[in-house]
Amino acid sequence: MSGPDRTPLRTAGAALVMALALAAGLAAQAGSGQPAAQAPAWDGHRTIPAHLIPLRDENDEPIIPTEAQPLPYSARYTCGPCHDYGTIRGGWHFGAMTAAASGRPGEPWLEVDARTGTILPLSYRRWAGTFDPRAVGLTAWDFTLLFGRHLPGGGPAEPSDAEVEAEPDARWSVSGKAEINCLACHNGSGRQDPGEWAKQVLRENLRWAATAAAGLGEVGGMASRLKGTWDVFDGPNPDDHEWAVVPEVRYRPSDFDSKHRYFFDLNYQPSDERCLACHAVSPKDEPKWAADADVHAAAGLKCADCHRNDLGHAMVRGYEAEASETGNKTAAAFTCRGCHLGEDAEGGKTVVPGRLGAPYPRHTGIPLVHFKRLACTVCHSGPRPKEGFTRVRTARANRLGIHGVAAWATDAPIIVEPVYREDGAGKISPQRLVWPAYWARRTGKDLLPIKPAEVEAAAGDILKPEDRIARVLIGLSQVMAEDETPVLEAGRFVFAPNVDAGLDAAGPTGGKADAPARWGIRKDGGIVPLVPDFDPAAEDKDPAVEARFQEFLQALATVAEKPGEPAILVRRTLYRLVDGFLDVSEAPAGLAGAAGPGWIAAGKLLPLASDFDVRTVTAKAGTEQTLTEEQVALVLAALTKAGATGECVYISGGRLFRLEKGRLAARKDRAAEPLTWPLAHNVRPAQQSLGWKACTDCHSGASDFFFDTIKGTGPLLTKSVARLSTSSFMGRGGLFQRIFGLTFLVRPVLKIVLAVCAFLVGPLLLVAGLAALGRFAGFLGRR
Amino acid sequence: MVFTIVTVLVAAAAFLGLAGHRFLTTREEARSTILYGERAKKFFAWLALRTIQISRRASPRTWAAYLKGLPLWRQPVLEKWLFIGFYGSFLYLAASGFFFGLFVPRGLFGFPLVGHVACGGLFAVCLTVIVLFKGRDFLAMPRPAGLSLSLIDPRKMAITAARVKRWAFWVFASAGFLLTVTALVPMLPWFGTPGQKILFELHRYSAVASAAAALVFAGLEIFERPAPARSPD
Repeated sequence: MSGPDRTPLRTAGAALVMALALAAGLAAQAGSGQPAAQAPAWDGHRTIPAHLIPLRDENDEPIIPTEAQPLPYSARYTCGPCHDYGTIRGGWHFGAMTAAASGRPGEPWLEVDARTGTILPLSYRRWAGTFDPRAVGLTAWDFTLLFGRHLPGGGPAEPSDAEVEAEPDARWSVSGKAEINCLACHNGSGRQDPGEWAKQVLRENLRWAATAAAGLGEVGGMASRLKGTWDVFDGPNPDDHEWAVVPEVRYRPSDFDSKHRYFFDLNYQPSDERCLACHAVSPKDEPKWAADADVHAAAGLKCADCHRNDLGHAMVRGYEAEASETGNKTAAAFTCRGCHLGEDAEGGKTVVPGRLGAPYPRHTGIPLVHFKRLACTVCHSGPRPKEGFTRVRTARANRLGIHGVAAWATDAPIIVEPVYREDGAGKISPQRLVWPAYWARRTGKDLLPIKPAEVEAAAGDILKPEDRIARVLIGLSQVMAEDETPVLEAGRFVFAPNVDAGLDAAGPTGGKADAPARWGIRKDGGIVPLVPDFDPAAEDKDPAVEARFQEFLQALATVAEKPGEPAILVRRTLYRLVDGFLDVSEAPAGLAGAAGPGWIAAGKLLPLASDFDVRTVTAKAGTEQTLTEEQVALVLAALTKAGATGECVYISGGRLFRLEKGRLAARKDRAAEPLTWPLAHNVRPAQQSLGWKACTDCHSGASDFFFDTIKGTGPLLTKSVARLSTSSFMGRGGLFQRIFGLTFLVRPVLKIVLAVCAFLVGPLLLVAGLAALGRFAGFLGRR
Repeated sequence: MVFTIVTVLVAAAAFLGLAGHRFLTTREEARSTILYGERAKKFFAWLALRTIQISRRASPRTWAAYLKGLPLWRQPVLEKWLFIGFYGSFLYLAASGFFFGLFVPRGLFGFPLVGHVACGGLFAVCLTVIVLFKGRDFLAMPRPAGLSLSLIDPRKMAITAARVKRWAFWVFASAGFLLTVTALVPMLPWFGTPGQKILFELHRYSAVASAAAALVFAGLEIFERPAPARSPD
């Protein structure tokens, strides 16, 4: 066949192949069910476009601020048209539940429940020592309500429809989903309020939270008070304007232009305040004015200068192994070594140093082994090691940054730093540490944590002695004068009610530790007995006393869950209320020996607070612990009785507690070991780094770097706690480090000896060499 | 890796050089031919046979007897302890340094490192005393040289065992000096990380040089010394 004859066939074949390829491409796109991801289109200009854009709600409808009951804005439909929402969803802050790789461990979410003594580390990432929330029975809804206060939306707060259907007890249909809150990070407006976000989340106003937090509008009402059947399309509740008020947003019309477009004051790189809203860490006992900023921040860098990301929001976290773990080679340029030394994780000079003016460190006199075995952060980051460590509070663990009338921040959990521990990359790095505490069922070697609600249900009254005493004191408060406060004196402490319906303990006082409990009234700095000792039969008794007794009894009658009717027994006279009137009678013989205020039940006068309650609150007074060993033993018995499968145990302070022949016994267990995660900030100035002063900053016989001891802490008041030396975390023998530290005492002598030797041998070698050279050249005669 | 290769090559060269020297100076068959190939064949045959003989004879008792026969024990007390300290510290330094340097990726660490530092101080002191009081015994004063091609002809350099020993001594002393300096300077706040790296490499290669020089010196010394009398049994 001639050439021209073959050409049409070739053309037809090529066209067929192209058509098939096109069809296959279209089919693949259609099959994915997702629109093609938009390529990030940066035109090269370095300014941020003015974001004067129309707001759209979750139904992709435009928001007209002057309309009645407009819906909150939706980031998915307002920001999404230009910034592909699906791409962003896979980012570090949103994709924990679906991420293929977990990366270097970071701070876990800590479920803290003071009453049950729970400090449970949780993470959707597979980080050692943490529990997957799903494995411990926490649904996405539970997780959102627990930690949504510091979530940036998305992830568990924005479950798929299938996940919503799988959670019948959740209230997603009422609250809506908390979409990714772009403004949580990128809002440049001073109106952005992370505290408002937290409050809206706790009110279950999830779909409204971003609008309220950004200050786009004012949000009222609480979805948490609405019936589970309410839907956003139902509109306001006409029957209730005070309690179950439907969430509603009121936009400020003046913030919109005539085309209903809203101006967003945005930052391409989030400001540090936005990052710190969730990532702030501060020493617990340091005043705000004394706290220094990270040296990078002081030099004018922003968090996002190093922790960068593209549209996929896969943040550069800045650790050395990140580039190899994630495949993002650029990440190697944003580690300490990358910026300051121009080195990758293996020490290769593959990175251009000095990014953003990073100085090149001289490290004069530092032996090379330090750079092989230690992360840069060991010497440069976090507080310097000191006896007892530095206790810190983190935004997410201690609920920082939420301001309002109520106190949100908590002292628990106790987090300390720096603990130096070998990380996964074989280097020692400074880490934060928390001791887990939780109730669990043990099957074989595995522990499965029990949810706090389940523990509380099984424990009944065992965990509530403070509540019972507080209820009595609050009841008595009703009949106190303005300058009077009802108190309970027990042990060496004085307990008074607080505004949160709890107990405040003052003391220790000078009283005896074993003194019997006494109810009293604090007035003018002194405490007088609630029931004074007097003779009821005396003719000259003060009539005001009995009037006061009547008030007390009326107040005590209002106490919830009281074990009997209130009564006051003075000597052999019994005061009680009968039909609302004070009844004074001779005490029955069964009450002989009793005295003071109490509850009449089954013919006996029970004390206002049981011995168990008084003993428990007294033991815990002045401590941070919320449980006694007696309580733990009782709760373990109650959990066992409740029919739990497997043995029930409690973890606290680095020990596992279990019942052995009815008694509480403690022992070591891997599950009780502390959880640590690397810290990187704050970076200190060079002059404050370890080793700046001398090698003995670390290498001495008694350095805090190697020889401090960390004691297990937890909600349980006990002496059975773990004690670990800092060198044990590093995997280094304490004995060796002590001997090695001691060698630094003689090191100056060694230096002098070596210097003298060098000064003697050097010239001799020179003379011998010169003599040989001179003879060789004929300058010198034979010896 | 480079250090390992260099160390192995230097050790092999020193060993083969000493063995070759012994072969050429003591064996009749070495003089039976002038062909290098034939000599090499005979050399390796002799080396293999000699290795087997020595390994068969080697035993703790033999070694003990050998050590007992060393002239060291007959030295005056000061010299005896000087050399005990010198040999002992050098042997530990070489053993710990090369073992960890060649076989342990992490390098020298832990108690062996503490021992290495301590022995380093002892070695430096002993070396200084030896150079100060014994160095003159090894001063080799060459004749004035004329500028000719014979300067680069090994056959005309008059390389003798005694001269090699002297050179080995001074190479050892120089390497020991470098070892001392490269142990001292990194402890002073003078050099940054690149400087520390150079000093570390210099320390390691000085150690190779000192070990090779010591091997050559000891080999020649032992070869020159008459063998101890065999026991009747």
